[in-house]
Amino acid sequence: MDTLSSSLKDALKKLAGKAVVDRAAVDELVKNLQRALISADVNVKLVMELSKAIRTRSLDEELPKNTNVREHVLRIVYQELVRLVFATADLKLEPQVILMAGLQGSGKTTTTAKIARYFQKKGMKVGVICADTFRPGAYGQLSTLCEKINVPCFGDPKATDARKIVREGLVAIKDLEVIIVDTQGRHALEPDLIQEIIDLNAITKATHRWLVIDAALGQQASEQARRFHEAIGIDGVIITKMDGTAKGGGALSAVAETKSGIVFIGAGETIENLERFDANGFISRLLGMGDLQALAEKVQEAQMADEVDMEAMMKGHFTLRDMYKQLEALNKMGPLKQIMSMLPMGNMQLPEGVYDVTSTKMVRYRILMDSMTSKELDDPGLINSSRMQRIARGAGGTPEEVRELLKYYKMMHKTLKGLRGAGGGGKFNMQRLMKRFSGMQ
Amino acid sequence: MFSGLRERLQAARNRLAGSIGAAAEAAAPPAEQPRLSPPATPQKNPTLADKVKILVIDRELVVSEKNVAEALDELEMTLLESDVALPVADAIIADIRAGLVGKHRKIGESVDALVMRALKTALLNVLGKGLDLPAYIRSHERPVKILFTGVNGTGKTTTVAKIGAYLKKQGFSVVIGAGDTYRAGAIEQICVHAERLGIKIIEHQTGADPSAVLFDTVQYAVSHKTDVVLADTAGRFHTKANLMSQLDKIRRVMKPDLIIYVDEAVAGNDAVVRAAEFDRTVGADAIVLTKADMDSRGGAAISIAHTIGKPLLFLGTGQAYEDIMPFEPDAVVEDLLGSGVS
Repeated sequence: MDTLSSSLKDALKKLAGKAVVDRAAVDELVKNLQRALISADVNVKLVMELSKAIRTRSLDEELPKNTNVREHVLRIVYQELVRLVFATADLKLEPQVILMAGLQGSGKTTTTAKIARYFQKKGMKVGVICADTFRPGAYGQLSTLCEKINVPCFGDPKATDARKIVREGLVAIKDLEVIIVDTQGRHALEPDLIQEIIDLNAITKATHRWLVIDAALGQQASEQARRFHEAIGIDGVIITKMDGTAKGGGALSAVAETKSGIVFIGAGETIENLERFDANGFISRLLGMGDLQALAEKVQEAQMADEVDMEAMMKGHFTLRDMYKQLEALNKMGPLKQIMSMLPMGNMQLPEGVYDVTSTKMVRYRILMDSMTSKELDDPGLINSSRMQRIARGAGGTPEEVRELLKYYKMMHKTLKGLRGAGGGGKFNMQRLMKRFSGMQ
Repeated sequence: MFSGLRERLQAARNRLAGSIGAAAEAAAPPAEQPRLSPPATPQKNPTLADKVKILVIDRELVVSEKNVAEALDELEMTLLESDVALPVADAIIADIRAGLVGKHRKIGESVDALVMRALKTALLNVLGKGLDLPAYIRSHERPVKILFTGVNGTGKTTTVAKIGAYLKKQGFSVVIGAGDTYRAGAIEQICVHAERLGIKIIEHQTGADPSAVLFDTVQYAVSHKTDVVLADTAGRFHTKANLMSQLDKIRRVMKPDLIIYVDEAVAGNDAVVRAAEFDRTVGADAIVLTKADMDSRGGAAISIAHTIGKPLLFLGTGQAYEDIMPFEPDAVVEDLLGSGVS
């Protein structure tokens, strides 16, 4: 997603740099957008439709009052992109049955456990049925994952009939509120398996039928999604493996094909790495706007809303103490990069080094900070070489480590300073986005 | 197999032939053409004297860039729609353009044949030579150690089982190392496969050091004079530095003869990024593409082969053990472009 995001931003920046926005400039923008979206695996036909719409609207639509051509074009790009990913899929905290569907190896089983964890954290009683009777080890995998989070998992490694297992399972765990049915991987050209999932859908009377799509899936996504949709009526898409370099364009094509929305995004191998999807936030992030809402949700989940003063941080007050709290919260909140990508940073580039801090380093940093005085924590400028010696000795480390920590702090400080003015007001501010892109003011 | 790509390529071929044919007719007095283009490199842009000689003596036509531009644009779209990654599609098109533009065509020779030759050369260039695994094993010192790598969910474990079955059928003795000690159920999965196939498996418990498991597997193979060691590993993303260095450690410890990179035929543009990254960090000697049965396009094969320039070994084409197909580039290109390839 990062690369897609940066190439989209590049395309828009180029437009911003243009003295006049004329037909040629729009054509160039559209061409760059096309390339960016196609290399993100968005369906080629979809891209062509999208770019055609952007071109015609940009050239034909009348200029709204108080906007210049450039802002007008940018708004059209934004609107068309939002249309592409549709709305967020519906998700209610009430008793329901969820049927998981998807290609082999797309990550259904892992996602099933992650979703179980999601509902569990929301206070629902969750149970899982393993209907994958084909792949060896499937039941073992799911039951191990469920055991970790204390969720009952119904299944039988020796069973061969998925329909029978599901029927039995529905009876066995009927007292639970949310029942998730994990199924075997299948693709659209396997008629027996498609029939099986049609039957499973009928047996479970599933409230939701979610299609799990690997972020790396290419042009095939549309076709597969269409067939799944025809078979069982997909009402939500989950993109998995977003922690790699794949951009998830295939999943967007699947969404467009099924006219549904993206429910979750999976990004990581542990059971907590699942995010709710929000179309506005997604596109904003894509265009470099940040997603404060998702961040707020994360912060709340980590139960640290009162500990880290986001406001102060955004204003540029950032001391070692804040960094300490942040490091403490990091374990609960997930990787720094993920968090940073939610902050509204406009089209600003972050130094890569910010992310280069591994979790073991984080632990070291915290130990080092533990041996600092509170004065030093509030005003890192105080730390001279003799203080450095003392801190290092107290933490059982070397002065080099302290220096490295301070360097990291300075980098964070600079980054957050740069954020000031970029966001702050409200989750979504189109005007400001425009201005940043247009490079004026 | 690849039927979608085949149809499209054949359509593109016809369009290319059409536009060159049309251009030839348009240039009725063909002597006009050479004067317009200034002579540059002698190979691509023959000098005027050459052209006159060609026209007079050999009665040939010269294909110009303009003749093929539109058709090549369409061909590029075709490749993109078939999941060929953008940079790779660009490279192939450039290749074909270089192969066509400035080429002489005898008036008697069919345009079709010329286009076919250019397309075929470009595709064969990309797909490489292929690799005959049984022959490789026979010609190397036993045990031949094969390490499987790749990102999560591409089908490494299933592929290990399939290749195990394939080699066993070829008369080799095989041992599998259960190197995926991370994913829940992975050891169970490979053990069930091995048991069904009657192949010896070396396993430790979940969470063990994969290097240790695979070292033990190699030791077993040496002392039991086993022909082939197949080493399964946990799926990992190329962005996770620590997991990649774990893979590097595995490589140092078991010293594989072949590192096989496994990816899925349905992957899109990312296929190129991760293949390149795996090749850079731990190396890759050959490629296996899985899930080719759900893909009628085959673009990933072209993308990956082009990016890391290593042969494709097998295609996984289904869920059964025998659903694996040795990859023969000549046959595939022949198949893609249809009959009548000269």
